[in-house]
Amino acid sequence: MTIIHNRSLDDINDTTPVLGGNAITRAFSGGSLTRLIGMLLLILILGFLTIYPLSMLLYGSLHSTPPGMAGEFNLNGYRSIMTTQNLIVLVNTVGISLAKTIPSLTIAVFLAWIVARTDTPFRGTLEVLITLPFFIPPILTAMAWGMLANPQVGVINMAWRWLTGAQDPLINIYSYGGVIWHMCQYSIPFLFLFMVDAFRAMDPSLEESSRMCGASRWTTFRKITLLLMLPVLTSSFMLSFIKGIETFESALFFGLPAGIKVITTDIYEAINHRATPDYQYATSLSFAIMGLMFLLVIAQWAILRGKSFQTVTGKGFRPNVMELGPWRWVTFAVCVLFFLVTVVLPVGQLLLGSFFRFFGFYTYDMLTLEHYRAVFSNSEFWRAVRNTMMLGLLGATATMALGAVVAYISVRTKWRGRSLIDGMAWLPWMMPGMVLGVGFLWAFAMLPGPIPIYGTIWALLLAYIALGTPVAVRVMTGSYHQLSYDLEECSRVHGASWLQTLWRILVALAWPAFAVGWVLTFFGIMRELSASILLYSVGSETLAVVLLKLWANGNAEQVSVIGLMMMLLVILFRWVQLRFIKARISKL
Amino acid sequence: MTRTTFRTSAIRNWSRRFFLTAAGSIAIAAAAGLPVHAQDAEWQKVIEAGKKEGTLVLYTALVGQPSTKAIAEAFTKEYGIGVEILEARASEIRERVRVEQAAGRFAADVMFTSEGQTMLYDKEDKSVDPLPVTPNSQKINDRFKLKVPMASVMTIPYGIMVNTGLVKPEDEPKSWKDLADPKWQGKILSDDPRAIGAGYLWFFSTHDRIGEDYVRKVAAQKLSFTRDQRESQRRTARGEYSIYMPVILTDFSDLKGLPVKFIIPEEGVPYVLYGNVLLKKAPHPNAAKLYLDFLQGPVVQKIYASLGYGPVLDGMTEGLPADVKAISEAKLYGTTDTTRQNEMLAKSKDIFK
Repeated sequence: MTIIHNRSLDDINDTTPVLGGNAITRAFSGGSLTRLIGMLLLILILGFLTIYPLSMLLYGSLHSTPPGMAGEFNLNGYRSIMTTQNLIVLVNTVGISLAKTIPSLTIAVFLAWIVARTDTPFRGTLEVLITLPFFIPPILTAMAWGMLANPQVGVINMAWRWLTGAQDPLINIYSYGGVIWHMCQYSIPFLFLFMVDAFRAMDPSLEESSRMCGASRWTTFRKITLLLMLPVLTSSFMLSFIKGIETFESALFFGLPAGIKVITTDIYEAINHRATPDYQYATSLSFAIMGLMFLLVIAQWAILRGKSFQTVTGKGFRPNVMELGPWRWVTFAVCVLFFLVTVVLPVGQLLLGSFFRFFGFYTYDMLTLEHYRAVFSNSEFWRAVRNTMMLGLLGATATMALGAVVAYISVRTKWRGRSLIDGMAWLPWMMPGMVLGVGFLWAFAMLPGPIPIYGTIWALLLAYIALGTPVAVRVMTGSYHQLSYDLEECSRVHGASWLQTLWRILVALAWPAFAVGWVLTFFGIMRELSASILLYSVGSETLAVVLLKLWANGNAEQVSVIGLMMMLLVILFRWVQLRFIKARISKL
Repeated sequence: MTRTTFRTSAIRNWSRRFFLTAAGSIAIAAAAGLPVHAQDAEWQKVIEAGKKEGTLVLYTALVGQPSTKAIAEAFTKEYGIGVEILEARASEIRERVRVEQAAGRFAADVMFTSEGQTMLYDKEDKSVDPLPVTPNSQKINDRFKLKVPMASVMTIPYGIMVNTGLVKPEDEPKSWKDLADPKWQGKILSDDPRAIGAGYLWFFSTHDRIGEDYVRKVAAQKLSFTRDQRESQRRTARGEYSIYMPVILTDFSDLKGLPVKFIIPEEGVPYVLYGNVLLKKAPHPNAAKLYLDFLQGPVVQKIYASLGYGPVLDGMTEGLPADVKAISEAKLYGTTDTTRQNEMLAKSKDIFK
């Protein structure tokens, strides 16, 4: 494969006639003052959303007391994290994250290839179904897997003993394997969502050329298909790996009984389970991890720099769908198996349990619709639904708009400062959620009085935009990398304005990524708890806060009812996305 | 009947009874033409001022309890003052209060929290005001009149839960000491004693009263640790473990119908004392005083007793069903001491490696 040097709009400007047009066109096509102002505005927005809360946390890590309390600046926090014990925990955490990211990525690539590039039957339906686990609150799947795979009376182990007469359990969810498996439940659909559209947006001519030159299918897949997807693969790997470092629920639920410790459980303990929360320790540890993660991001930049991954060009093409013959039923079976194991087994438990008084006690006299009645008659739940829907719709749209602009500038221009905004957009992803939540609390509460953010629903919205931006930028970056510059060049040579070009080319061709990013962000907002619990005010409760209250009070069955409703919403959203929007946008 | 419905109806019944009694007493007193004391006159001014304030902002660290909302409704019914409730876990709500006050945002009036947390609010954060003297604050049991500025409201008692399908009645542990019996090795699910929470409360109480040898013997039982109390009850009920400890005894009514039994240990129950603190520069100080007083009065005390919590006002358990009464009146065994927390946490981590 020939790797060509990357081109940007600036290069195009050098070689194309000067275009007329409006102020926006000029602002974004030349080195004008307006462009500078635009960039500064973007830096200011990202600075407020990411640098400001992080700087409050940095203060916390360098000060003996949190903001607002008398104390002194020192390095005690950083000194206290330099222990052999922490090094072991770090190695353990990195190991767990790698152990879940690598198989997750492999499985996700395989599933995405099946759905996007083969003639596997019902792949449209499978595309929606295999992503469902990602949208279920982790605590529910943890509970379900606890019931399925505990060594004593887990359903799977009981069946195993009954079938084989064995005394020992087949699997034990309270183990390293259990922690990794539970994390995989989320990372596989997440990575799949990231990659499936990248597989679709692939000009088959490159692969066909490879085949015509005598390369085998496997070599073509490895050297052409996968290499063209390098931006998406590295982005999704980074997102998934870093999230693996920060994952908390799996380690707490399944790791604690097995004595497995990870960085986030240590941070959680420093904040929640000491006589006085040790924010200096928690923030110092978080920044140390963040520093390590940033090295990875720089490595990714180095890998991608100077290469082109354009697969969507001006030439019309349809993604090459491989005809598998009878093998298509094997790929179908693989998808169905994945769906059965990751969705039907745990969600089946939740669905079944929601109709009984207690999970796991399925007798006739325990049958009830009480949990549904309790949820539907809970006024606080409906208020939270309204708030969350409003925040989700506004937040996801704003986040994706911001992410699209940042990704556009980062990928498709050579403007000064583009690496800065790309780096700024990464930052929230590298800070564990529970610490970043505290950063938002400190940041918004400490704003001068006249700025009415703290204590309002806007504080939540801003926090959600900041939290969602890294995914939004990564999704759009992957997509923009694949679009050929010829398309924009062509559009603009023919007199289209910058906005028309953006709409007709960049939006129309990148919409699948935008839609996927939107859904990911929307449901990220629906599930977000760490910042929500610290920023919500009376009347602005979100669904995650209501779920916490119900869970804390032992209403696991009602939490399941809400979890199932969230899944229905996902199916609806994905259906609209895949059927309705697709049809409309394709006409553009 | 669900727990919520049960609690709400129970609260309404108690409220109705109390209101009728109170109304009757006032009518009799008025008819007898008793002189109004100066103290009463002062309190009357607080009532008037509180009603004018019209709203109370309550922060609570007891997340998800239906009783909070029901009590707030009873308060509104009594004084016509609306209650806005914000719930979050102890460390989260404490940091919110601290940072709000540091930024000059005095949003909350009252915090419902534990005795240990109150000490931190008072000594470290300096975010609470001294307690006002209210009519009901003088009437509570002397044991619950504290040095820290918290108006005690109720105790949460902890005991032992067994799976009745796995533990025969004759084998049931009757005391904390019984948990050290080697027959329970590998069969106990325990809240993690190495972190602040119920397991640590058990560790602290039994370490101080029975001794370190006992705790080490229990540690040798190969306990399985958890930090999710409600889910752990279900896990034990489903047969993963024979015993779960320490369990919040007031949860017994939620699990009726499951093969579990709640045991009040012979030594007594470790407990957490909860109450209200008056936050500094409360925007509705008079409404806050009324709320503090209301929660120490018989209406709310009977509500808590009916749910199995330990009331701080004597004589509140009369007429309760036997099982509820036994839990509500259980002998209090011990609680934690915030001043020794770092020392005891380190010891716990050493013993339960």
